[in-house]
Amino acid sequence: MQHLLNWILWTPALGIIGTLLIPGKAHNTIRIWSLLVTAITFAMTILLYCQFDQAAPGMQEYFNIKFPWIEQFHIYYSLGVDGISLPMVLLTGLLFFLCILSSWTIEKSVKSYFALFLMLEASVFGVFLALDFFLFYVFWEVMLIPMFFLIGIWGGENREYAAVKFFLYTFAGSVLMLVGLIALYFQSGANSESFNILALQGGKFGDEVVTLFGTDWNFGILVFIGMFIAFAIKVPIFPFHTWLPHAHVQAPTAVSVILAGVLLKMGTYGFLRIAFPILPEAAVYFRDWIAWLGLINVIYGALCAMAQSDMKKLIAYSSVSHMGFVMLGLAAMTTQGTNGAVLQMFNHGTSTSMMFLMVGVLYERSHHRWIVRPDGTKGFGGLYTKLPIYSIVFIISMFASMGLPGLSGFISEALIFLGIYKEFTTITVLALIGLLVGAAYLLWMFKRMFFGEVIPSVAGYHDMNAREILYMAPLCITVILLGVYPAPILNIMKESVGSLVQLLAKFQ
Amino acid sequence: MELSLNYLYSITFYIPECIAVLVMAGILFLEIAYKKHDSKRILLKVFTIVGLIVTFGALVFNLDLPSKNIFYDAIVIDRFSVLVKIIAVIAALISYWYGLSSRDIYDSLKSEFGILIVGGLIGTMLLASANNMLTLYLGIEMLSILSYPLAAMKRLDEKSVEAGLKYALYGGLSAGIMLFGMSLIFGILGTIQFGEIAGRITTLDVTQKAILVPAFLFFFVGLGYKISCVPFHMWTPDVYEGSPIPVTAFFSVVPKIGGIAALVRVTSAFFVNENLIQYSWVAVLTLVAALTMTVGNVSALGQRSVKRMLAYSSIAQIGNILLGVLVLDSIGQQAIIFYFFGYMIMTLLAFGITAVLSDQYGNDYFDRFNGLIYRNPFMAICLIIAMLSLAGMPPLIGFVAKFNIIAAIVKKGLFGLAIIAVLNSVISLYYYMRLARLVVFKMPDSTEKLFRLSIGRQALFVSMALFILIVGIFWEDLYKFSDVTNQIKLAH
Repeated sequence: MQHLLNWILWTPALGIIGTLLIPGKAHNTIRIWSLLVTAITFAMTILLYCQFDQAAPGMQEYFNIKFPWIEQFHIYYSLGVDGISLPMVLLTGLLFFLCILSSWTIEKSVKSYFALFLMLEASVFGVFLALDFFLFYVFWEVMLIPMFFLIGIWGGENREYAAVKFFLYTFAGSVLMLVGLIALYFQSGANSESFNILALQGGKFGDEVVTLFGTDWNFGILVFIGMFIAFAIKVPIFPFHTWLPHAHVQAPTAVSVILAGVLLKMGTYGFLRIAFPILPEAAVYFRDWIAWLGLINVIYGALCAMAQSDMKKLIAYSSVSHMGFVMLGLAAMTTQGTNGAVLQMFNHGTSTSMMFLMVGVLYERSHHRWIVRPDGTKGFGGLYTKLPIYSIVFIISMFASMGLPGLSGFISEALIFLGIYKEFTTITVLALIGLLVGAAYLLWMFKRMFFGEVIPSVAGYHDMNAREILYMAPLCITVILLGVYPAPILNIMKESVGSLVQLLAKFQ
Repeated sequence: MELSLNYLYSITFYIPECIAVLVMAGILFLEIAYKKHDSKRILLKVFTIVGLIVTFGALVFNLDLPSKNIFYDAIVIDRFSVLVKIIAVIAALISYWYGLSSRDIYDSLKSEFGILIVGGLIGTMLLASANNMLTLYLGIEMLSILSYPLAAMKRLDEKSVEAGLKYALYGGLSAGIMLFGMSLIFGILGTIQFGEIAGRITTLDVTQKAILVPAFLFFFVGLGYKISCVPFHMWTPDVYEGSPIPVTAFFSVVPKIGGIAALVRVTSAFFVNENLIQYSWVAVLTLVAALTMTVGNVSALGQRSVKRMLAYSSIAQIGNILLGVLVLDSIGQQAIIFYFFGYMIMTLLAFGITAVLSDQYGNDYFDRFNGLIYRNPFMAICLIIAMLSLAGMPPLIGFVAKFNIIAAIVKKGLFGLAIIAVLNSVISLYYYMRLARLVVFKMPDSTEKLFRLSIGRQALFVSMALFILIVGIFWEDLYKFSDVTNQIKLAH
């Protein structure tokens, strides 16, 4: 049991070997095998949740794994879990399991698809579990490789451009983080604690000064900028968001789900785990900027979403908007705000995944995603009368995404607003407008697609089949459950978030 | 001051080089003895390969010897030089192997190819352990003169002949400038021994120092040409494109690591004291490194021929290695040696696969790689690994190599340079991925499957790819092995 984290991380990786051993023609065997691997992994994350001590702040000693990897550079293979990473680990386990189910209809190079998918899962777990900065970086980068091929091979028409843009953008951000992490290593004395994320925390770099291009800079601020760019590209924060619509639209459904549901969270997780705790002075220094950028994300994302006629692009921009709320919650640096941010990360992971999966379900029937076609005719109409089950599930996902009371999105957004109101009143008021626009574009999309005349092409669609209901049901239940009773997630993060907020409060 | 050893005693430290010379002579004899017999091919090949392997073994044996200056301080044998030679021997061996099965090297010239490769190797070995200006010049010339015919090896092809001529003209010019620089240095300092130069610099007055700076710059021209750093890189793409691929593979590794090794030794021997001259040397190196990386990467973006792209990419990689030179410490040197290992394997793997395709189609344009993964998945995956590694993606050796170099410069506080270096690897990712993209995302133009690939070469490619991956994860041992601490020997 002490090696649970190892098992969670390496089961998908071992699964890859299994996939490679199965002959390429046996498509169903490969699918079932991948499903089995992700199911076991998901079960282990649940087990981790059950074993987790909710009262303990910080890393759970019991699960920690640490042994030397490269001794000259004091690099350790060290994994750990705390209240901030556990919700992300749960989300990852759940979404990958469901995505394998939703990828059942992939027919092109099945073997490579599932192998890459499992590789992606392993690297994402690595990012959320790593406690060594070097290890974190390695997983952070490795994640790009399967993503590049998944978008580039199985994506839509413009997939190559999207894959390359995604790859280059993210890589550009992360190399700046690389310089930052090496700088931190030497600044903290190049000793055995210098790559240890936990040991670096606590604001040790506030007063250091370095020279760059002939002028003196505050070390902490400089490194924070580098990391901010790395994480901001991932979140993505305006103006680093331009890769996102392309990647989301071109990626196959399951990959969009992972991209929106899990990978975006890696950016905000980076702030929570690395940028804020290691460089709290710089975080406080840039707090206003982060809040304003978050606000721009909220409003700009919502307005862009409103202008889209492609469903997937609309949801992609809605992700930009919703991640803006997370940034607002982080910028608040209060208990409610940060709790809300982490909860929003989880809730957005489930609700946006539902939206993308619903688009995928429809796409398999229609082979297009136009709400309104470029020539002005309707892409869909009267779906409500033709596809009742689909419509109900769609309504749940849409309302969850909108933040309707009773569904999960409401709680996290309310917490974020509670947290930020006293700190940035103007921004709070403006962000509420974003919420309003958010409701508008979703309802407008719903109206155009589900009501009105049944257009001829829609008439032939069949309703959701058992497999599709099977992978939507857990998400629906989660969304409703957490909307009524968010304690299962809030309780586990409470202590860890509390200690982060205390740390930040010292520097305000 | 160490006692100068007599010649006979010196020879005992110089066994690897002697073996290499004997191999070279032996090929010559065998060639004469077995003329017009088919069997000579096998014997010659076996002889060359065994000879190189024996050289390798002798070098490994030398690795644990204490540092020594031999031949009256003309040559230095230390861990750094032996490591460089080991890398050069492996690279020579692999490029020779490529040459055996390549159509670019005519069957009638296979033995000459072996002679020239071994000769070039000897030049590099000389360069790596040069301890005075004459030995250094001898090494450079040995390497250069044997490289000219190598470049023109495909003598019925105009491009190849042009490459040879271009190489010779540039080489002659830069060697002349270098010799001029050396004579100025000798005129001012009165010595050609590397070990004495640092001490004599301190005794100079300001005017003499003012002359010394351009003298060092002239000196640098010769080395800069060998390692093809900006602004002496112009010849590289043309020569690389024109030369047969096995020769290009050889050029992109062996002369370059020899040149860098000489540069490291010169830098660490001349500029031990902090003064104006050291400052300007480092400033020059900084500028050259930044330019080399940027120009190499930006020029690689728009290439049509993979060989040319790889030529520019190797220029950019040399820029990275120069970063390790300018930090002037043993961490930098360790990083350089580690980088050499990675660079050699990655580059040779990329060239090896390019050679196979070029043999099949007669050229190496990008679109020849379309859909390679559907035709030969193993080779395609090896190529993708090489490309990702060259771009510096973890967990591959190319990433670790870059990490070490960047760590060395960040430790010195050169943040600006570190940022330039990492942003350059983003540019490089674009063109490396351009190739990977064609390999995976495009459909093949034709369905023909054949690649005349022996099991041996497939095994070589796969083991190189595995090396890149495994050492990329467990790099501790290779990093320790690359350690040269306190081993750069100054002949005081």
